[in-house]
Amino acid sequence: MILVPITYKGGVYRHDEILDLIEDMGGYIIQKHMIAQDVVLQALIPRDDIEILRTVSRPLAGEVIFAPLVGTEIAIVSMSLEIHHLPHASCDVAEYLRTAGAKTNMIGLARGFGKRIGLLSDEERDIINEHDLVIYLFGNFETCIKQKMPTFRRGIHIPIIVTGGPSTDSLKKLIDPPVAGYVGGFGRFMHRTKEAPEIAKLDEIVSEVSRVLDGRRSEIAKDPLSISPARLMDVILEQLPDIHDVTSPVPVVVQMDGVRVKLPYDPFAAQLKEVEVEKGVAVGTICDIRPSRMRDYILVKVKPFSDTGMMV
Amino acid sequence: MQTLEYFQVESTEPAGGELYRRIASTVITDHDILRVLDRLRIFIDPEVPIFIAVGITRTVPRNVIVRDFAGITYDGDKVILSIADETYLAPLLELLWRRFGKDRIVQPDRFTIEMNLGDEEREGIEEMIVADPTEGLFRDLIYTMQVICPEGFKVKRQSFQNGRFWFVASENTLQEDVTPLIEEQFSIMGEAS
Repeated sequence: MILVPITYKGGVYRHDEILDLIEDMGGYIIQKHMIAQDVVLQALIPRDDIEILRTVSRPLAGEVIFAPLVGTEIAIVSMSLEIHHLPHASCDVAEYLRTAGAKTNMIGLARGFGKRIGLLSDEERDIINEHDLVIYLFGNFETCIKQKMPTFRRGIHIPIIVTGGPSTDSLKKLIDPPVAGYVGGFGRFMHRTKEAPEIAKLDEIVSEVSRVLDGRRSEIAKDPLSISPARLMDVILEQLPDIHDVTSPVPVVVQMDGVRVKLPYDPFAAQLKEVEVEKGVAVGTICDIRPSRMRDYILVKVKPFSDTGMMV
Repeated sequence: MQTLEYFQVESTEPAGGELYRRIASTVITDHDILRVLDRLRIFIDPEVPIFIAVGITRTVPRNVIVRDFAGITYDGDKVILSIADETYLAPLLELLWRRFGKDRIVQPDRFTIEMNLGDEEREGIEEMIVADPTEGLFRDLIYTMQVICPEGFKVKRQSFQNGRFWFVASENTLQEDVTPLIEEQFSIMGEAS
């Protein structure tokens, strides 16, 4: 069964029918937002059943949109937390990627400012590495990007996408060895992105991220994961009652190769390890469970089939 | 930026300079300093690295005196100020308290101040200087330049004299005498005028 990422937008009225339908199809609801009278669902549903969902949601004035980034966690790295870099362009990118279904986290570097002294601390590096992909939002000058890049890629082993003021071709020439993706013409600016060319740039970032993540998905498909992260999320929500006491809007964040569980590591890691996915298969046997550098959350990375010899 | 007499952003990287021109115009508008700025030239060399901003301000409004925003009436020993513009009320109260003492200044409502003053004391009260509009101007100008200038340029020097201002910033130590750099930019701006 091939699951496709979608966003459902509709009213609160009878939306429980949609939730039931997605579950009955064998799909997974990754995020649910209730905004006043509206409901926004980010879900993975079987590819063949999209039309059924569309048919059911039509009388409810619901809309089903393909959202390529559902089920991914992306780090947006702003070079500092000063007015030079926030809220634009960092927040604009983070917000736009969310509309495409991604779970984005913004990371403001403590020592990122300036081409000479910019650096990543080990905590920042580890937090970035916990994501599926990182976007570095650089400035407008080629000289600075060229000088800073080696520092910012050191120790990062997830795909990197670089955005900056120079054109995409210039970025490609500047950055050696190459990174996973480039979006040029999007450097430092001090206004909100609302004009058509700027929105087109944001769309370009979404398509670049999708392209890079598709590559990552096909890498993972070569040696599939022992359990789909979306299913793992479902199992945790079902069998770990304490997760329902978490006030965070997304208590279990689905990533491409694991989940982030927003419960403290020390009291809950052992309990999580024992959670049974199927009879005789515990989460601990098919996943690596380790403390996350983000607060005291638990990071669960699913082991591949070649490691465990089973797929559940 | 139609209202600026001269506005130029130049860089050794022309593409980056063009983007910084957009940043500068956004920041200047956001910080509402267009009304005081007449000419502005910015030069950025990221290779050195250095950021130089030079400019000339418009003639700024004169000092604000009591008569500008308050009506004065006399009732025996009592001097009554009727405040028309609340903007300067706080600095005025500060001044009066310091000069005559808090116990002699009464404020029965938001827009009225009553004072018990002798004949000598009440002399010149209408002409008392309450605010100097140029006071915050330099601070605002320099803050604007700091926001425009690339992040990380923490070593900076600035000056504002007789309507001429300059701001130099770098990531590295600045040379001891920055005057030649500034004069060069001023002269380019002068030539283009």
